[in-house]
Amino acid sequence: MHIPDGFLDAKTIAVASVLSAAGIARALRNVRRTLTPRKVPLMGLASAFLFVAQMINFPVIGGTSGHLLGAVLAAILLGPDEAVLVMTVVLAVQAFLFADGGVLALGANLFNMAIVAPLAGYAVYRLAARPARTEAGRLAAVALAAWSSTVLAAAACAGELSLAGAVAWPLAFPAMTVLHMAVGLGEAIITVLVLAAAVKARPDLLPGFAARGREDGPRPIKDVLIYGGLVVAGAAVFVLPFASKLPDGLEAVALRLGFASRAAARPVVSAPLADYRVPGVGSLPLAAALAALLGAGLVFSLAFLIARRRLARVRGAERAAARKTESG
Amino acid sequence: MKHESADRLSRGESPIHRLSPGLKTGAVLAFILAVTLIPFRAGAAFAAAGALLAGAIAAGRVPASYLLKRALLLEPVIVAVAGMALFQPGGAAIFAAMAVKSTLCVTSVLVLSATTPAAGVLAFFRRLGVPSILTSMAALTVRYVHVLGDELRRMRRARRSRTFRRGKARAWRSASAAAGHLFVRSTDRAERIYRAMSARGWR
Amino acid sequence: MSPSAVEIRDLRFRYPDGRAALDGVSMSVEEGETVGLIGPNGAGKSTLLMHLNGILPDVHRGAPAVFIHGVPVEKKNLLRIRREVGLLFEDPDDQLLSPTVWEDVAFGPRQWDWPEAEVEAAVRRAMAEVGLDEGFGRLSPHHLSNGEKQRVCLAGIMVSRPRILALDEPTRALDPRGRRRLQSILRALDAVKIIATHDLELVAELCDRAFVLDGGKIAASGRAVEILSDERLMLDHGLETPYSLKHGARG
Repeated sequence: MHIPDGFLDAKTIAVASVLSAAGIARALRNVRRTLTPRKVPLMGLASAFLFVAQMINFPVIGGTSGHLLGAVLAAILLGPDEAVLVMTVVLAVQAFLFADGGVLALGANLFNMAIVAPLAGYAVYRLAARPARTEAGRLAAVALAAWSSTVLAAAACAGELSLAGAVAWPLAFPAMTVLHMAVGLGEAIITVLVLAAAVKARPDLLPGFAARGREDGPRPIKDVLIYGGLVVAGAAVFVLPFASKLPDGLEAVALRLGFASRAAARPVVSAPLADYRVPGVGSLPLAAALAALLGAGLVFSLAFLIARRRLARVRGAERAAARKTESG
Repeated sequence: MKHESADRLSRGESPIHRLSPGLKTGAVLAFILAVTLIPFRAGAAFAAAGALLAGAIAAGRVPASYLLKRALLLEPVIVAVAGMALFQPGGAAIFAAMAVKSTLCVTSVLVLSATTPAAGVLAFFRRLGVPSILTSMAALTVRYVHVLGDELRRMRRARRSRTFRRGKARAWRSASAAAGHLFVRSTDRAERIYRAMSARGWR
Repeated sequence: MSPSAVEIRDLRFRYPDGRAALDGVSMSVEEGETVGLIGPNGAGKSTLLMHLNGILPDVHRGAPAVFIHGVPVEKKNLLRIRREVGLLFEDPDDQLLSPTVWEDVAFGPRQWDWPEAEVEAAVRRAMAEVGLDEGFGRLSPHHLSNGEKQRVCLAGIMVSRPRILALDEPTRALDPRGRRRLQSILRALDAVKIIATHDLELVAELCDRAFVLDGGKIAASGRAVEILSDERLMLDHGLETPYSLKHGARG
């Protein structure tokens, strides 16, 4: 999902950069307040870890493979503010030292993968884990959070591409979100498996997770407002203008303010696409949004059922082994 | 690992290598900004940018093999995203322009990485005033990516020599387990690094 | 009567999970000495070394048990102590944390805000002391061999001219050539040396005295050669007399 340079125009880069800078500044402030000296090497190594983990191939079909993004994994293991910083460092190092993701587009990539992905994902996790009383429920919450982080980041990415005039919204939004609903499944599975392996090896890593799943207290209201505000602002700029019937509203404003890119590049929304209607639902983007909601419900239920069955089997095996050693 | 070649190349000798990292990073940023602003149909501007880049490649003695190998990895993404642009009137021109812009920008960053050691780029950002938490994290990332990568490789090799059943589900599970253990080992190592830093006066 | 270089009085330490790691250790090391700290795995050697510069305990409470040149190792003295005591950890990768060799050796002085010219001079001197020529400065750590990495770590410690050097298993990952080189470097260094190691030959070759640490206590101490030649003592503590002392005659 790393947007390369050359796709986004100046105004999109500017807006996205301002939003991510604000989010990173807030995360820096929060982390600094609780910063102990040992946290810096911990976060540094976490960044190195994510960098390496993102390169692991998870075979899908033929020669293609899926990869972990790790935003929600980082948020759960280290904390949401820390995750913002860790993802920021990973993306920045990738962009400047390995040409992976654009350098000017970094602002947009940071917004999608270092702000939206970890924070929105973590919010989903906290909400979904609250009613959970079993380990299966908590793992399902993790799965849903990881899945959501991918889909939401993809939605923001689609919005940025559309705002920049690179890709038409009726194509970008459905294509990106539906594709990433599938990609998100991989993220969900990998995140749960990696988290489970880490907690199994070191239960002390997440003292609350194994027991209750509610390891921090409630987030301070200011954080919810600021982070939430940034994500909503992003939605307002990157998504809503297209979702509503005012696709030219922001463009008109941008033109007046002198931000607009060359007029020749403005996408004349291609007629066939704009008129395409999914029977019974409406436009493509609307259908995609509804599919996302359905998908979320499906992912959660599936994850819950699978987790419950697996955990029951694992516990059954453990009990059998314990009985054997007792009697043996 | 792909990092190896950039590391080795960046320690070479050439007129470009001798320039300060700050100058080179700034130049790349300016180049990318300029390319970003080129209107879609301005062919001459693209040609000029391409010529400038080619000059830098030659002066920096950047081997074509390095550029091609890395570009091969990154091009599919460029083509896929640009491909979406085709679905609109005038799409072909937009597609071509975006593909060219992206390739120019990616290549310029590759040239930077082949002529400037990572430490130099990091030092430049430190001087710019990027918060020290972030630059310290970035320095640790650059330093330990290889160490962790080696650990992961060793873990997976050990696992592979113990597995007899293949299959994707198993592959996913074993890869995830390896990643989980790598995380634990990374946190342990972070603790030891913290001790070593403290022992040398860090607070 | 000047204080010992290192004095430890009844040091006790428990791990967070309650295990006793050090159960009343008392010992002293004098100026000019090189001593070996030997014992079976899990005896507490690394733990003991980490008390010398206050890395452990995590939180300093109560009466200090360790004194460096008479100065107690407690919170308010930590920064000063850490310039006097250089600790070389077992895994060079844990200690070599900067993107280049030069930056890593300069890490210490930069923490103490030395002016850049002084830092440069100190780094050059330290690298020369461990036999690394200036070209090494630009290299990144992952290109170095184990022996080279260790010498960089050593330089990074020597740069602050510590008067006491504590080394944790320094020869573990070295090949014979690396081991010989480390030995000659250590012999030439003017500092009190405390070497925790399984490499008993090293202790025989370098150390004046040796301490046997077992189960968190000092089980025996004395002249290195005498301790090492005491076959019964060695076997009792999970060690053994090094080959050169078993079959050769040493003065």
